[in-house]
Order: sequence, then structure tokens, then C-alpha cells
Amino acid sequence: MSELNLDHSVPIALIGISHKTAPIEIREKVALDAKEQESVLRSLSKAFEIDGCLVVSTCNRTEVYISAEEYETVIPEIQRWLDGYKKSGYFTNEQYAYVLTGLDAVRHLFSVISSLDAQVVGEPQITGQVKDAYNLAKELKTTDSLLNKIISFGLQAQKKIRRNTFLADGAVSISFAGVELARKIFNTFDDRHLLLIGAGETAELAAQHFLEKGAGSIAVVNRTLEKARELAGRFNGKAYGFDELSSAFNGVDIVISATSSSDHVLSAEFMSEISKARRYAPMFLIDLAIPRDIDPDVDKIDGIYLYNLDDLQAIVQINLDKRKQEMPKSFKILDRYVVEFEKWIATHSTSSTINRLRRYFDHIRRSEMNRLRKRLPKDNMDEIDYLTQSIMNKLMHQHIKTLKKTATDPERHQQNVELMRDLYELDQE
Amino acid sequence: MKQLSQILSYILPVFYLCAVYIYYNIFFGKKKELENKTFPILIALLISHAAEIAIRLSSLRAMPFSTAFDALSFLAFSILFIYLLIESGIKNKASGLFILSFAFLLQLISSFNHTWERETNELLSSPTFAIHASLTVMGYTALSLSAIYALMYIIHHQNMKKRRFGAIYHQMPPLDYLESMSIRSVAIGVILLGVGIFMGHVQASRVLGSFWFADPKVIISDIIWLSYFTSYALARAMKWRGRWMAYLSLSGFLILMTSGVIVFTLTETFHKFY
Repeated sequence: MSELNLDHSVPIALIGISHKTAPIEIREKVALDAKEQESVLRSLSKAFEIDGCLVVSTCNRTEVYISAEEYETVIPEIQRWLDGYKKSGYFTNEQYAYVLTGLDAVRHLFSVISSLDAQVVGEPQITGQVKDAYNLAKELKTTDSLLNKIISFGLQAQKKIRRNTFLADGAVSISFAGVELARKIFNTFDDRHLLLIGAGETAELAAQHFLEKGAGSIAVVNRTLEKARELAGRFNGKAYGFDELSSAFNGVDIVISATSSSDHVLSAEFMSEISKARRYAPMFLIDLAIPRDIDPDVDKIDGIYLYNLDDLQAIVQINLDKRKQEMPKSFKILDRYVVEFEKWIATHSTSSTINRLRRYFDHIRRSEMNRLRKRLPKDNMDEIDYLTQSIMNKLMHQHIKTLKKTATDPERHQQNVELMRDLYELDQE
Repeated sequence: MKQLSQILSYILPVFYLCAVYIYYNIFFGKKKELENKTFPILIALLISHAAEIAIRLSSLRAMPFSTAFDALSFLAFSILFIYLLIESGIKNKASGLFILSFAFLLQLISSFNHTWERETNELLSSPTFAIHASLTVMGYTALSLSAIYALMYIIHHQNMKKRRFGAIYHQMPPLDYLESMSIRSVAIGVILLGVGIFMGHVQASRVLGSFWFADPKVIISDIIWLSYFTSYALARAMKWRGRWMAYLSLSGFLILMTSGVIVFTLTETFHKFY
């Protein structure tokens, strides 16, 4: 491994492998399931000189965050340990693994939480996955006040980005694009009736999205009535054979068609009659089949809105492009939170408090030594100097011990940090 | 006082234009953060407009909607107020661009045509005048909103049919929401305007006797209202829906406004009869 370029501003480091550095074949080998994550957290906190750790493992990334004052010595050890744990050499392989430290690691974690580093930018699942990983680490008491604060800042950045940009807007999958389109016609799906033509997986998945968004009821039409019954049963709906197509359309507002038929299942003449019977009330049709199930001329009928796979793909592409356009703005917001965090760390971290405390005690010791030098002969001054230093270190040790002891209890730790800062007026330095 | 009223009157269109600009940015997805700031902006605009009306009222010592241009300003205020209520009820702010643009146009025309002379028509001192005027303005407000929602419906329908999935498509509320808002507004507008016109007739007959019946603007107003009411009632009875209802609502409003312009050109005030 080449020499690490370490950023010492924040005592945090990250070892990771993600979709940006490794193909799926590698990522699946280093992924950690819930049990493994637990075991890694326990092992790392016991086996290494670290103050805290957090493991984020999803299908797109496996990242281990470490909070440690001496992380430069710990990183290679942990990399080797992870390789041993997963019985692979990927965590020490520079081609796939990356190591970030200090503010670079913080910025990276913020971008992961905000879904700016995701494969599909803006997808909200990653935020939930990081929250789950954090909750697990907290439960196992492997986080320290620094990791707690980083997560807290990261979640604030994510909220701000979500609120002030279009990063998470619009559907980015075909089946959700169908729902998005329907939402442009119907204000709500309550009391809207859904008709599935075809009982295959594609139709089922699309129907599931509509039902999750509150569609009132479902009917399934299929050439094989048995299959229609099976699928309708899963959704508490009604089943019809193809010979009952007209009856199946009773009160229907949304139609999803995905059969393997080589001919049109719904003709323009048939749909014209249906629309007339509905007094041209809006009806939404999605044709997910190839070749198409619905005659394209159906779209010319008053009150009918017909879309096919190409239309849905176009919506997905527009939404993806829009999300990409929002990235610079999102990173600008994210960087503001990195700066905020940097300011916070400068005034509130344990190391900063310890350094200030040391300077405070040393200042008293030196001024007393200077006074003493004027009154006492020089012969024993070195020993006295050594003695005062030793006393000071002993006094300091108790303070440091207290601060480090409460590192796993963020609230108490923060109270102690603030108490010391108030007591010795460290902020007025 | 008069000077302050004049200054405020000329500033108001600028305020409306600023609000339109903010809604333009929201509509075309330029600044998402503005979405959370519209409520205080609308409140500030409403207060500014209310202050302008109050100062004019105090300066003229009469209700400031006796002339056509005064009425346009009051209509803009009323539209702004109703829109504020609508926006508070729903999350979608897309209609803001359309509604506030219309209110801006009304206020612009009004601001540059205000008269600061008090009208001394005895009709205006009648106690029922305020009721007649308020109902008429509210009726016009509802019909204006109906036409705007109908216009939005037609634009959205065209975009959906022609697969134009751009910024306008993204910001538009659902078609069935636009339709129900338009239909409800027509119903409310036709009733309020009908009662308002009727109250005006009652008041005029009390004060002026019966000769005002032959007045062209009374005849035009009555015919327009009657045809508006009849076509709306017929369309509802025949269960018209979708874009045809939107076309009806929009064309009805355009005829109403055109007739209004004709009436205004005949006389400088609503309240002088031939």
C-alpha cells in the first residue's frame, strides 16, 4: 500500500469499497449482513485502539468509519483485519478500496447520507440504511460523541438538500413513473378502481405501487381465469376471463396492461364505447407490453390518457437528468455543513478541549516557575521544573480519563466537555 | 393622504410583479427554497393592498369601487385573498403563477387609470350598495378563478396528450383537481354574480325609478349572466366533463370580460344610466 495522505483536522477515518470503485462481483464479496455488521462492530471496538466505529453496508457500498486519535496506525491494521474477516484481499487492494480521513471522510459520509454518492442519485433508501447502521452502532455502544455529531450534521445536510433542491424529486423507475403520471390526472387514488390485464409479474409490480398509494380496488383479467383468480386473490380483487372484458371495465379509472398477446387486446372501437359510457371522465391506461396490447389510436379518444413503455422511460430519463442538474447545488449545501461541522469541531471536540486545558495548566505552571526562579538559587530549578510538569500531567490525566470514560455516553460527555470549558474559561483563551 | 394613496397605488403593481416573479421561479423549478416562503409573501402583498384600499377609502371618503378601474383593483385584491386561502389548503403552488399574473394585470390597468375624485352618484350612498358591490366582486373573483383553472386544465391536458413532460407538466396539479376547482368556482361565481346583479337592480329601481331598464349595460349584463347560467346548467345536466367543460368555462369568462369592456367604453362609470 502506498503511503496514506492523512487529514488530521478531525480524528476520523473511513475504509470503503463502493459502486464507484468496484463491480458488483467484488461488492457482494465484501458486503456485510446485519449479523456480520454487529460482529464487526464488536470486534473492532475490542481489538483496536479506537474511540468509535460505524459500519454502513448496502448493495452499493461497504464502509467502515473509525473515530480514533491515532488512526494512522490503526487503518492498515483494520484493513488487514477486514480482509481476514471476509476472507478476501479487497480491503487492502488500492484498486477497489479507498481510505479517506479527516474532513474528507466527513464530507464523504455527508454525501452518502444525502444520497449524492448513490448509484441512483437522490434515492432516499440510503438515508434510511445509514440511520439503521448508526442505530445498530449506538445500540452496541460503538459510537462516540464525534461520530454522533457527524451523523447529526449529515442528517441536517440531507434534510436541507431535500428541502431546497429537486434532488429526490420525480420517479426514476418505470413502474413508479406510471404512478407519477397517474398522479397528474387523479388528485388521489382513493376510490379509484384499477384493472390489470394480464397476470404476469410486470403487471403485478405496477399494480402493487398503485395499491400502496391508496388505489381503492383491483380487478384482474387474464386469458387463463385460474391465474387471474390467483393474482386477484393476493390483492383481494375480482377476477375475469377475457370474454368478460366489458364487465371488468365497470367503474375502472386506471388500466395496466401487460400480456404476451401478439395482437391488440384493447381496440379503439371498444375503448371508445367504454369512454362514452363514462361520459368521457378521465381514464388512465398504461401499456407495459411488447408488442403493445392497446391500439395507439385509443389515445385519440376523449377522456383517455394512454402511455406506453417509451413514454414512461422518457419520464424516468427527464427525472434522472433533473437530479443530475441539482447535484452542484446540493454539494454547495453539503459543503456549508462541512464548514459548520469544522467550526463545531474546532470549539467542541475532546482533543481541542484537552489541548486548551493543557495550555491553561502549563501557563499557570510556567508563570509560577518564573516567579520562583527570581527567589530561589538556580541549582535545583530543573528538578523543580520536572516536578511541576509531573504534577501537571497527573492532574491532566484525571481530566482526560474522565473525558474519555464518558465518550460512549454522548450526553454526559458533552456535559463534561462544557463543564471543563466553563470551569477553566477555556473559550476565552 | 391623497398623495400617499397615489404612491401606493403605483407601487402595488410592482409588488404584484415581484410575487409573479417568485411564482415563476417556483413553477419552472428554479428555486425550490422559495416554495416555503410564499405564505409570508402573499400575506405582505395582501396587507399592502388592503392598506392601499383603506387609504383610498379614507382619502375619497367613499368605497373605492365605484368606477370600473376601482373595481378591477378590488377584484385583484379579492383574487389574491381567495388564492391565499386555496394555497393554505393545498400543497401545490402551480396555480399561483396563473392567478397572480391575472391579478397583476388587473392591478396594473387599475393603478394607471385611477381617479382620485369622489363620485357623487346617489346610488352609491344607498345602504345596499356595499352588498351589491361585494357580491358582484366576489362573483367576478370566482368566475376569474374558474377561467384560470380551466385554462390550466387545457394546458395540462395538451401536455399530457402530446407527452410534453417538461417543467409545466411537473408543476401542474392533477387534472381532476383543476376540473373540480373550475366547476366549483363557476357555480359559486354564477350564484354570487346573479344575486349581486339582482341587488343592483333592486337598488336602482328604488333610487332611479324604472327608466334604467332600457340602459344598454343593464341589458348586456343581464343577457350575459343569463346565458352563462343557462349554458352552465345545461352542461351540468348533460354531465359534460373534462376539456369541454374547461372550454365552456373559459369562453364564458372571456365573453363576460369582453362585454364588461364594451360596457366600460359606453360610460366611465357603472352607475350612470341612460
